[in-house]
Amino acid sequence: MTAAQAPVPVRPPPPRLRDSLRVQGRVLVALLLREMLTRYGRHNIGFLWLFVEPMLFTLGVAALWTAAKAYHGSNLPIVAFALTGYSSVLLWRNMPGRCIGALWSNLSLLYHRNIRVLDIYVARVLLEFGGATMSFAGLSVLFIVLGMIDPPKNILEVVGGWLLIAWFGGALAITLGALSHQSELVDKLWHPASYLIFPLSGSAFLVDALPAAAQKYVLYIPMVHGTEIVREGYFGSRVHAHYDLGYILPFCLVLTFVALFTTQWVARRVVPE
Amino acid sequence: MIRLSDVRKVYHTRSGDNVVLDGVGFSLAMGERLGVLGRNGAGKSTMVRLISGAERPTAGRVERYMSVSWPLAFGGAFQPTLSGIDNIRFISRIYAQDFQRNLAFVAEFSELGRYLHEPVRNYSSGMRARLAFAISMIIEFDCFLIDEIGAVGDARFHDRCNHELFGKRGDRAMVLISHDPGYLRDHCNRFALLHGGRLALFDDFDEAYDRFREAIGLVAAPSIDAAAAVDRAALIEVAQHRALGDERFRLLVREGDWRRDARDWAAAEERYAAALALHPYQRSYWVQLAHVAKERGAFARAEAAYRTACALGEPAADVVEHLRFVVAQGGADPAAWPIHPYRKGAAGTQVSGRPDVEALAWLLWPGAGIDDAEATDLLRRHGDGDRLAAAMIADPRFAAAAEVAPAAGVDGEILRVLAFAHRTPADGAAAVAQLPPDAPAWPVAAAAGAFRDWPHVQQALTP
Repeated sequence: MTAAQAPVPVRPPPPRLRDSLRVQGRVLVALLLREMLTRYGRHNIGFLWLFVEPMLFTLGVAALWTAAKAYHGSNLPIVAFALTGYSSVLLWRNMPGRCIGALWSNLSLLYHRNIRVLDIYVARVLLEFGGATMSFAGLSVLFIVLGMIDPPKNILEVVGGWLLIAWFGGALAITLGALSHQSELVDKLWHPASYLIFPLSGSAFLVDALPAAAQKYVLYIPMVHGTEIVREGYFGSRVHAHYDLGYILPFCLVLTFVALFTTQWVARRVVPE
Repeated sequence: MIRLSDVRKVYHTRSGDNVVLDGVGFSLAMGERLGVLGRNGAGKSTMVRLISGAERPTAGRVERYMSVSWPLAFGGAFQPTLSGIDNIRFISRIYAQDFQRNLAFVAEFSELGRYLHEPVRNYSSGMRARLAFAISMIIEFDCFLIDEIGAVGDARFHDRCNHELFGKRGDRAMVLISHDPGYLRDHCNRFALLHGGRLALFDDFDEAYDRFREAIGLVAAPSIDAAAAVDRAALIEVAQHRALGDERFRLLVREGDWRRDARDWAAAEERYAAALALHPYQRSYWVQLAHVAKERGAFARAEAAYRTACALGEPAADVVEHLRFVVAQGGADPAAWPIHPYRKGAAGTQVSGRPDVEALAWLLWPGAGIDDAEATDLLRRHGDGDRLAAAMIADPRFAAAAEVAPAAGVDGEILRVLAFAHRTPADGAAAVAQLPPDAPAWPVAAAAGAFRDWPHVQQALTP
């Protein structure tokens, strides 16, 4: 085609959804693999660190809590309690940790037009989700095989609660990631905030064990709901779970919109290096 | 086809809004190669980023009806901690390309061999450029954006790049940016000048280039920090940076290079001389000036220029053969007039070059003027500035210094580092500023203690 043959530009038909999805999938896979390579490399156990690292965390906390005979307000085995609780923390806490500042280190990627700002965050969220999930599942199987805990009473409910925490964590991560590109305050404040929220997030206690007055306030904290659901799925009627889907689902939905909006806002302003 | 309509780009900075592009519009079809001229910081790279889609305009539209590359030869498009191979794999995935085929092409074109297994951060800048270019070539875009491709790499690599781009892909659309307008002239068929946020389009290179010259001419000379050059040696050192940082100088020497390549020696010499009038202590272009003067048969001028280059620190070994040739052509014995090589130390002990002779003559021989033969003779005979100035004072023409007002046009900074080397830079500059423009300058300079630490001059001045 030369200029003489095509003087009038013809706008190509809008891409079909299927093609767009294919490009999207391709980009996410490429970003995921790249992220794994840059983060874990090919040294020693390589990308196995993806879930070995959270496993070590959870194992360590489980061991500590067992040794300290931590009070958690129920007659559940402490190992099971630590497994469900701390895995949930890793899930919602690591995603924002990875997304904050993610754009700065990946600015040059934006020269590839198929890669959008959101893709960079989504890839990191997916990677963290994968790592935390493999760690949780792997340790669960290990403890069950060793006979230290009983199999979950309702696996689907565990999965549902787990996904709910992931949804919240992912939306929070993308929001904070996008904001962190505009203000470094986000990075500075997230670290203390995540440590302060940790004891309140329902990982170290059962809502049922709290005084009724405190329960009301604790249930404003979104991660508590997911953790409670995971515990109910795991332990069935041995615990009395407190959660409100009517609160947490709209919360996550709104947070998702906030995430998409801030990402769009940042994408409009980002200057590739 | 790519179309930009009324594109505006504003960066918000701490010191207010910076309008980089202000109503830029053009369209580009297949087969058209647009060369964009513009000063440093005119917004050329910003425009390329907007076309590539990596960045969005503040206002206006960028429409793409064809696939557009990322800015080519841009090293940042890959991840430095990953190996070359992993980078190729990533790009292949993003663009759904066959990795094995791409790897074979990149390995062949970049000639990186086993380095492809190393992290890119261990590469030299030349290796990075080869990898970046080769990776850019594995995806067949309709439009290529080329931002400063000639910056790195050797001549053979450039030839191969040019063949890939303009030979094999000559039917595509391209937008080219280069610090070298000659590169754009040779490879583009449309031209644009980006200046003051506006883009002007031209079909003819010469027309575009004339406007570009005007735009550069409007630039004020870079402000010069006198304190950076405390003495002549320091002035020589900073002159290299100052000259290359001055767009007017670069423009002139580039034009000189073109004329030289076209064997138009007279025009080339004129450009080099104009450039060196801006930065007289820039040594390497004294060599170029000498070469073109030699080609014209102006052997005395060539000799003075070669000697100046050496006096300013050009390695004598690189120049000696040429110098011997022009001395012999001028009818003298080369062995009798060796090079005075560059010397460190105080201004009076350093070897003089033609700019020094001109400045000394302005002060000591006002109204006389110095021709090529005279300048060459002085540079041949005197191995340092002190003896040269003393010889000028011993000459009958020095008598005019007390009576005649000097002509206009002396390089005040050179005068300062010669005559007022014993003063601080600020003091010396003040002394130069006090020299009267329309009355004899020498008595004032002498009263200010000119050449105080130059023993031969002081001896020559003693009645």
